[in-house]
Amino acid sequence: MNTKRLTFLAVLTAAALGIFIIEAQIPPLAPIPGIKLGLANVITLWALYALGARDAGLVLAARILLGALFAGSATALLYSAAGGALCFGLQLLLKRAAGEKNIWALGVLGAVAHNAGQLVCAAAVTGSAAVFAYAPVLTASACVTGLFTGLIANALYTKLKDTRIMQGL
Amino acid sequence: MKRSGFIIIISALFAASTGLALLLPRIKHGTTANIYRGGECIYSVDLSLVSESYTVDFDDGKSHVNTVEIAPGRIRVLEANCPDGVCVNTGWTDSPAKPIICLPAKLIIRISGEAPDGFDAVTGAAR
Repeated sequence: MNTKRLTFLAVLTAAALGIFIIEAQIPPLAPIPGIKLGLANVITLWALYALGARDAGLVLAARILLGALFAGSATALLYSAAGGALCFGLQLLLKRAAGEKNIWALGVLGAVAHNAGQLVCAAAVTGSAAVFAYAPVLTASACVTGLFTGLIANALYTKLKDTRIMQGL
Repeated sequence: MKRSGFIIIISALFAASTGLALLLPRIKHGTTANIYRGGECIYSVDLSLVSESYTVDFDDGKSHVNTVEIAPGRIRVLEANCPDGVCVNTGWTDSPAKPIICLPAKLIIRISGEAPDGFDAVTGAAR
């Protein structure tokens, strides 16, 4: 990894972290935890396509760790990591199938997977399957918010593809 | 995979989850509220037998206190000192499809048809 690429990843991490922290200040949209836009995922998804799995994973891991440090708690880290890992895993798996034209779809499926990961985590923490009662409403909301972030990542990738921003990385 | 494939899968996912999210809360079998901590039932009350509201404090011994209001036919967390206040914001529940969950205190309130095995005696004393 050259210095320019390392610096670029650091800038991406800072951007994702900034988005994450600002979003954490917005009051919850619904009384159910887990319903949020997840805008920071735009960065991860874009990086997955523009920079590859390894670097996108690094940015995601750094953002989750630092995000918990700045805006969350040890428990929040657990949920964040479970959701982030499942989301990224699924996007990685489907990257080839989706191609450059269907990045938006990975935004949706990633958001659904993210919530699934958090629910499994919550079920483990509470020792009860009761939390899965919220799976339908979380999935429905993830479809909407995921479409939003997915379309942004999709547009970002298309617009930046032919620019010089990636030169020398 | 083609774009249409993703559109179909995601539309189906959205339709199914929205349908379930709208239909499930209409299920109202059972009037017993069971309160769990860490998967273990710590309190149980038949809400159909409650005639006057009262509150019970649940302390997890690690400085989390949830004040639960038990009312005729419904139950809610009235007050809690957890940082997010999710359990309080959930409001009243009277349906098995809407459990009240407090993750920091690991407290769960579920409506069900009956109290867990061997719990009635304890409840009688508590009520």
